[in-house]
Amino acid sequence: MASTVIGAGIIIEGEITTDEDVVVVGVVRGKVSAKEAVTIQQGATVEADVTGGSLTVAGTLTGNITSTDRVDLQAGARVVGNVKAARVTIADGAQFKGNVDMDL
Amino acid sequence: MVTDLSSCTSVARQLMAQPRTTTSGAESRIGGAARVRGRVQGEGDLIVEGHVEGDLTLRGHLTVAEGGSVACDTVAAESVTIAGLLQGEVTASGPVQLGATARVRGNLKGSAVTIAEGAHFSGRLDCDFDLPQELGGTAREARTKAPTRR
Repeated sequence: MASTVIGAGIIIEGEITTDEDVVVVGVVRGKVSAKEAVTIQQGATVEADVTGGSLTVAGTLTGNITSTDRVDLQAGARVVGNVKAARVTIADGAQFKGNVDMDL
Repeated sequence: MVTDLSSCTSVARQLMAQPRTTTSGAESRIGGAARVRGRVQGEGDLIVEGHVEGDLTLRGHLTVAEGGSVACDTVAAESVTIAGLLQGEVTASGPVQLGATARVRGNLKGSAVTIAEGAHFSGRLDCDFDLPQELGGTAREARTKAPTRR
């Protein structure tokens, strides 16, 4: 189980900073920075710049993504923003609008 | 008024001995290394093992675990269990429990407040006894049980 879980009914307006991983099922507005994996699950809404290790998005994300490892946009994901990571995958069924920068 | 109640009811002891576990996905957790600055609100239970700064409004149970800290102007939840650090005004519609490792500064308001031996608390205690009928029972129970010392 992830160390930080923002559950389905929870809304955070502000900043989440952690050295560990984060799972978002609810709503986050502001900023998310983690050192480990960040997972934005289906049904989640994130309006924030997200930085982290491995980033997996299956929900809705508005904001820029910066990853030290990889970014996976899964089917069902809706992402508006720029993605900066060495490795990026965009699955069939993912919606994405923005720039990809793999030049790290 | 600063109240020092160095005992807690057996029911509260039981509740604190068995940490609440929810199998549903409605549980949220702020991990030990995590820091949240801003407003936290919503439905479901929340466990704070890390640090939260800002306002906290929850329709559910709030647990501040040992090692966790909450510094808020206002904390509102259905019920609150504190084993860590908390600074701020706590308003709960249900019971508020301070475990042995709790360090609390601020005002507490709940249908019942229990403070375990070893807990540090400075602030005002407010148990509302003019609650509606269905909550009145709990409140009165708290008043009769709370002042007993071991």
